[in-house]
Amino acid sequence: MQLKNSAARYGAIAQLLHWSIVVLIVTQFVLANQAEDATSLLKKAQTLTLHKNIGMTVFMLAAIRLLWRWANVVPAHLPTVKPWQQRIADITHWALYALILVTPLAGWLMSSAKSYSVSYFGLFTFPDLVAPNEDRYQTFKVLHAVLAFSIFNLALLHIAAALKHHFWDKDNVLRRMLPVKLRGDR
Amino acid sequence: MMFVSRSAKRLLAVALLAMAGIAWAAVTWRVVPTTSQLSFVGKQAGAEFTGRFERFTADIYFDPKDLAGSKFVVDIELGSVNSKDKERDDILKGPELFDVKRWPKARYVAEQFTSKGGDKYAATGKLTLRDSTRDVPIEFAFTPDASGKNAWLKGNAQLKRLDFGVGQGEWKDTQWVGNDVRVEFALRLAQ
Repeated sequence: MQLKNSAARYGAIAQLLHWSIVVLIVTQFVLANQAEDATSLLKKAQTLTLHKNIGMTVFMLAAIRLLWRWANVVPAHLPTVKPWQQRIADITHWALYALILVTPLAGWLMSSAKSYSVSYFGLFTFPDLVAPNEDRYQTFKVLHAVLAFSIFNLALLHIAAALKHHFWDKDNVLRRMLPVKLRGDR
Repeated sequence: MMFVSRSAKRLLAVALLAMAGIAWAAVTWRVVPTTSQLSFVGKQAGAEFTGRFERFTADIYFDPKDLAGSKFVVDIELGSVNSKDKERDDILKGPELFDVKRWPKARYVAEQFTSKGGDKYAATGKLTLRDSTRDVPIEFAFTPDASGKNAWLKGNAQLKRLDFGVGQGEWKDTQWVGNDVRVEFALRLAQ
């Protein structure tokens, strides 16, 4: 499989970015729930630290992913995807792109507002975006939760559509984002 | 004779008082609370955070020309800590860190001063925090205004929080909250 995208499928780099972000975001939901259920404040803080490190990783990978998308051909919609489905798919994709950038950003704002600077695995510290303020913190907390909830629901729609195309229409919608042969290829 | 003798006595008394003043209390400075700051910088999950003590008193006797007679006595109200997050402040004041219910105050007393050239000085003093008293050296700059009636005293100190038992139970872990703490002060002094 080639590194760059082709008209027929996503290349290795786009696939790697897609699936690594999937794994990281699933981890984020697990960590967020663990932090809420933490029995001690230290455990909660440690869990949230990992959550922030991964969140900032998603943020940076999302930026790279968008740049890579713009620097590449984007595989065209398949004929099995009806025009109204294409429109919904486009909207969903762009909403997800926006969310994987904006959700970590809201988390970063939330940390700044609570006066907890975000370190990246102890290597360096991201600058604080806003001055600490309790009301501001609550606002960003709600925003972060709403955005995360939106990712969850749009991801469900995205997965359902991919599976429907794969198993029902038996087309290449899912396969072209996987390191496997496309149907109809020899 | 009596008259002369009385003047001489008076003069002697003034001279003695002046000498005593120099020997015991170089120059007595008052700390201007509104512009003075005392804070510490800790590390949490790799990122620095600052906690400021909003209430403290400092008796500063300092004269660059009389370091032997200089002395700092600083009393810090630990419950006045403000790290700009109530949750973190409550943890700091709680039994596993400062434990302000049992030890509401920390005290720092410095009596040995050395000149480091220019307006720079160093001192060793004893910090009492919780139930521990340990030597903590400080370094500072003393810069009087042109009038000599006001001055800035700015400096810092390094200490290890666990030396004072600040961090019991799970807070002994230094992975998440670093052991090294930097204390920073900027005291506005007035005579």
